[in-house]
Amino acid sequence: MNISTSDAILLAHAGFGVTGCLAALWVFLEALNAQPGNAGRTRAAALVTAVSMAAAWICGGYWYVDFYPAEKALILTGPWPFAHNLFMETKEHLFLITGMLAFLLPVVAREKLDSNAAARKLVLSVAALIVITGLAVEGAGAVIEHGAKVALLRGGAKGDR
Amino acid sequence: MNSATAPESPKLTAATSGFVLAAAIAALFNTALALVRDAYAPLNGVMKSLTGNSWTAHCLADLVLFAGLGLIFTKTRAAEKIDADRLTGALIGAVAIAALGLALWFAFV
Repeated sequence: MNISTSDAILLAHAGFGVTGCLAALWVFLEALNAQPGNAGRTRAAALVTAVSMAAAWICGGYWYVDFYPAEKALILTGPWPFAHNLFMETKEHLFLITGMLAFLLPVVAREKLDSNAAARKLVLSVAALIVITGLAVEGAGAVIEHGAKVALLRGGAKGDR
Repeated sequence: MNSATAPESPKLTAATSGFVLAAAIAALFNTALALVRDAYAPLNGVMKSLTGNSWTAHCLADLVLFAGLGLIFTKTRAAEKIDADRLTGALIGAVAIAALGLALWFAFV
């Protein structure tokens, strides 16, 4: 097995991102059934969301700055240039919104959700926005990686003929 | 930092309402900065000179704006006057506009 630093950082980025999305979904479900008894769990899940997204941001940012330029050049010469031009360009900026929402979640989860309907609606909205934008970013990551893969595969196939 | 809320009150604390408004503004700012950077290359150069990479500077600008506005709105209680449901709607609207704006810009421009 040969896992490079680049691979490990990229997988950690995606892994932390998925963990953040799942934790936000956990907050959403706890808020749906908000009671005094689950307030602690809701706040803990909100904190897990923020920490996971911060870790995903750091890993993704490091990988993007240090390792992505070579992959970008490869994608742009391949058959799927839109994997960078549309998907990476959108992802690298949309993720910043997901990250800020993740940092907002522990703040809004401090409200008394069992007795404040407006606060509960707000927490549900913030958690849902994190899940939706987070999954969009994860999907974009898959398209970007496939853009690099088809550039290599089709480039290789051309070379074989 | 947080103000007390009545058990059945729909009001949000100063910190919550302040940071929600800050997040809505920061989301729109994030998209606006991305579009301006894409359309006006010299700005990328300026941002790159600040941190070594323009995207890193973009991240820092977003975070400083979000945290700065959040603290200011909390301290001044400026966002507390806004109805809680309206604030939630503003955040959803801002994120939707910001996300669609990014996707449409990079798809068609």
